[in-house]
Parts: sequence; structure tokens; C-alpha cells
Amino acid sequence: MKSTRTAYLLLAPSLLGVATFLVLPILVVVWLAMERWDLIGPRTFVGLDNVGAVASDGRFARSLLVTVVFVVIVIPAQTVLGLGTALLLNRGLRGASVFRVLFVLPWICAPLVLGVVWRWILAPTDGALNAIIGHRVEWLADPALALPSVAAVTVWTQVGYVALFFVAGLRAIPPTVHEAAVLDGAGPWQTFRRITLPLLRPTLFFVLVTGVISTFQTFDAVYALTPKGGPEGVTDVVAGRIYYEAFQNREVGQAAVMAVVLFVLLVAVTLVQQRWFARRTTYDLST
Amino acid sequence: MNRSRLGDAAVYLVLLAGAGVTLAPFLLSLQTAVKTPLQFASQPVLAPPNPVTGANFAELFGARYDFVTPIAVTAQVVAVILVGQLLFSVFAAYAFARLEFPGRDALFWVYLATLMVPQAVTIIPLYLMMTEVGLRNTFWALVLPQLFGSPYAIFLLREYFRGIPSDLLDAAKLDGCGTLRTLRHVVVPVSRPILATLLIITVVAQWNNFLWPLVITTGRTWQTLTVATAALQDQYNGNWTIVMAATTVAILPLLVIFLLFQKHVIRSITITGFR
Repeated sequence: MKSTRTAYLLLAPSLLGVATFLVLPILVVVWLAMERWDLIGPRTFVGLDNVGAVASDGRFARSLLVTVVFVVIVIPAQTVLGLGTALLLNRGLRGASVFRVLFVLPWICAPLVLGVVWRWILAPTDGALNAIIGHRVEWLADPALALPSVAAVTVWTQVGYVALFFVAGLRAIPPTVHEAAVLDGAGPWQTFRRITLPLLRPTLFFVLVTGVISTFQTFDAVYALTPKGGPEGVTDVVAGRIYYEAFQNREVGQAAVMAVVLFVLLVAVTLVQQRWFARRTTYDLST
Repeated sequence: MNRSRLGDAAVYLVLLAGAGVTLAPFLLSLQTAVKTPLQFASQPVLAPPNPVTGANFAELFGARYDFVTPIAVTAQVVAVILVGQLLFSVFAAYAFARLEFPGRDALFWVYLATLMVPQAVTIIPLYLMMTEVGLRNTFWALVLPQLFGSPYAIFLLREYFRGIPSDLLDAAKLDGCGTLRTLRHVVVPVSRPILATLLIITVVAQWNNFLWPLVITTGRTWQTLTVATAALQDQYNGNWTIVMAATTVAILPLLVIFLLFQKHVIRSITITGFR
């Protein structure tokens, strides 16, 4: 049929792209997980040795833990701050749209570049933050502070972006709903707790799901702020662990094992969240 | 009434504080970028620049740091990927949205499933593949993985194309338009808003891309702006005046685009939830 031929001609470039750069790499990474390779020399088949090496090393397990802690700090913080910002922006004050634009600024910029800017701001002796607070704090070199500092920078980049979605969600709530609540004698907190928050649930889920998935893969800003996993490896997130294992330690096979694990984990998270989504919410993209 | 006015003032104060925290890093880095290294080393960190100097920028674009090359490389990479992605995504989305063919739904499902593939997983196999075909550290290695359309763009465009009235497309067909002419003269013109959205998110995402260029390029020839900035800060850690000049240069083009098209950018983010 003619339309079939036309369709496949139109699809040809993207089919080539999807097959070569998205599907094939999955097969290749699984195969590489059973090879030993140092990026340059020949590859040798080692079967499950890489799995054993990764399991006994402990650094990969630590990086998973670091990433989970990172997500657990970043997601609640950016969600609460984003929602708070949206509530303030949504009060119909003049100039609110200017603030909305300002707050999104960091999101537009390259996370790597922002990481470099913050590396200076948080620098111990000649950094801006210590100059402002007036004493020396090792924000990025102190093992107790490094991860919270990196998380804070991440939250700083994302709050305005998260707020955008809450603003859209709040606008989708008809004002009559709130008027009815006020007539019924509900206070501001009650209105928020019983009316606004439940009606924001689709937005909330959207923000949480996309946030968890992208934060789990954080690399750029962490790389700039605390290279090589930070002090005592406290900021050694999974994506960074994979990068350093492959391109610094040149244990490509072991890095491939980690990549496969990360992939399986993220697919599992996505599928669980999608089932959850399908049951409970729909997100209206048109607002 | 008084109470609500007081409330408004409090809200403004909080918003202003938020704006301060948001903008301060940009302004502080710009301030450092226009200071002489001597002043930065000898005076308090927060002291205003005196004299204001463009020397750091001049040096950045000079032979030693050569930031002209990464800007040119990044601009070319973004431009080529942009054209390829929009063109091929429009093709694929039109096929999925408006044509009947065997295997359509299964294929579309495969495209959607690839949205779950994280970048951290594909860089290692892609590195191997590029090495095997001799493309490591070339322009093509930077653009090829993104060139043939993005499943995400295809998904968004497909939704949009499905909303185009059939009458319009039938009329074009009656006028003797082939598929390509229908795309060019009917589909693309009525899809301007979604194409503008995709244009913005593609430019921003590609301009800011870091991990893949970091992995697949070595040396200065094909360094992108993000990779060059990271390398500079790595090598001259502590020379903050020159490093902040570099971050200013890396951020500025997107900032300008953002401020010019802010309404559209904000709408684009909310529509697509991109990244």
C-alpha cells in the first residue's frame, strides 16, 4: 500500500536513530558487562566476574545510598519550597509574573556551569558565602556538609521550575471552590489543607515523579562542585560512579554492570509510578 | 483592609528575598568576572570592582584559553542537532499521527519505551560504538546520537498533529500535494506554537549538554562550552576572575534568549515538563 511506504520513508531517519542510539546501546551495555576493557586495549570475556567485583567493592553500594539520600533531601525541599513560592505568586499581586520569570532563571542555565559558579561561592577562603557570613566553613570539603551543600545548590536551581507547575496547577482550580470554602467558614489553613492540596494532587505527583527520576541521575553539578565523589566519597552519586569507573579507573566492564543496575532500577521506579499514576491521576498538559 | 495590606507587604518581602537568593550568584560571579586578579587577591571578596575591567574576557578569548573555539563548536552542534531533530521528529510524528500502516502502534510503543533509557546508561556503549567506527573526538560523534529525532519531541508533535482537522489535510491532497508538500505548506504552518516550544527546549538542552561531550571529546578541537568551562575551572582552580568570566560567557547567550522569549519559554516548560 502506498501509505505504508510513505509512512516508513518518513519514519526511516528516526527509526535509524532510535535503533542505533537508544535500543542498540542497551544490548551493548549488557554485553560489555561481561567483558573486561580498559577503553583502549582488546576486550576479553570475563562472564560474571564484573558483577562479583562490583558487588564486593562496596563503592557502588555506597553510591546508591548517597544517591538515595540526595534524592530524599532534594525532593521534599524543592517540592515544599516550590509549592510555597507558587502560593505566594498566585495571590494576584502586581509584579508576580516578574518574580516568576526571575525564579526560573537558574533552570535555564547549564547545571555544570552553575556548579562552577557555586564552587566559587562556597570556596573556603575566597568564596562569597563565607565572606557574607564572616567565618570560614568548609562547605564542600567537610564530609558532613558536602552532600547537604550540593543538595542545596540543586534545590536552588530547581525551585522556580517546580513552582511553575504548581502555579499552573493552582490556576486550574476554579475560584468558586475557594469562595465556597470561605462561605462555609473555613480558615486559610483549612482551605489549603482540605481543598487546595487535594486538588493539586495531579501536579504534585507529576512534580514528584519527574523530580525523583531526574534527580536520581544527577551528574553535572555534582561533578563541578565535588569532583571524584567528594570528601570520603560522600557525594559519589551513581551517575558519577559509573563515569569515574569507566573513564578514570578504566574498568569499563564494571561500569557497564553499574549502568545495567541503574537502568533496571529506573525502569522499575518508572513502571511503579506509572501504575500509581494511571490509577489515581491525570495531568492536564494544556494549562 | 489594613491586615491584607500588611499581608501583601510580607509576601513581597518574601518574594524579594527569594529573588535576591536567586540572582545573587549570577551578580556575584559577574562582579568577580570584571575585577582584576590583583584586586580579587588583595581586597575583600565582596568589594565592588575597582577598576571595572574587561581584561578577563579579553584573556579568555585570547590564544591561551581560546574560548572562541568552544563557542563556535557549541553553536554548530546546537544548530545541526536542532535542524535534524525538528525535521525528523516532524516526519515521524506525522506518520504516527495521520498515516495508517502495519506495526504503527507497536513501533510507537517502542519509541515511548526509549524515554526510560537514562543517559548515564547509554554513554558507555555509545563510547564503544563511536570508537569502533572511528568517530571518537569528531563533530559527528557530538551530533549523531541526537540528530535523528527525539522520541519525546515525536510524542509531543504526534499529540499536536492529531488535533489538525482532517479537512485541511484532505484539501491539500485534493490540490495534488504530496506528503512532503502537505507537511511544508499545511502541517508545519499550523503547528508553529509546538514547533517553537520544541525549538526552545532543544536549544537549551543541547547548549547545556555536558556528560556526552565530556566523554566523547578529548583536547581542545571539539570541546563544547560546558566541557571547556569544566576544564578551565579544573586547571585554574582559584583563578576565580577568569573562571567567572568563563561562566558568564557560558550562561549569557541562553539568558538573553530567555529574557527575550520568557513568556514562550515559561509556557514551553509547563507544556512539556522538559528534562
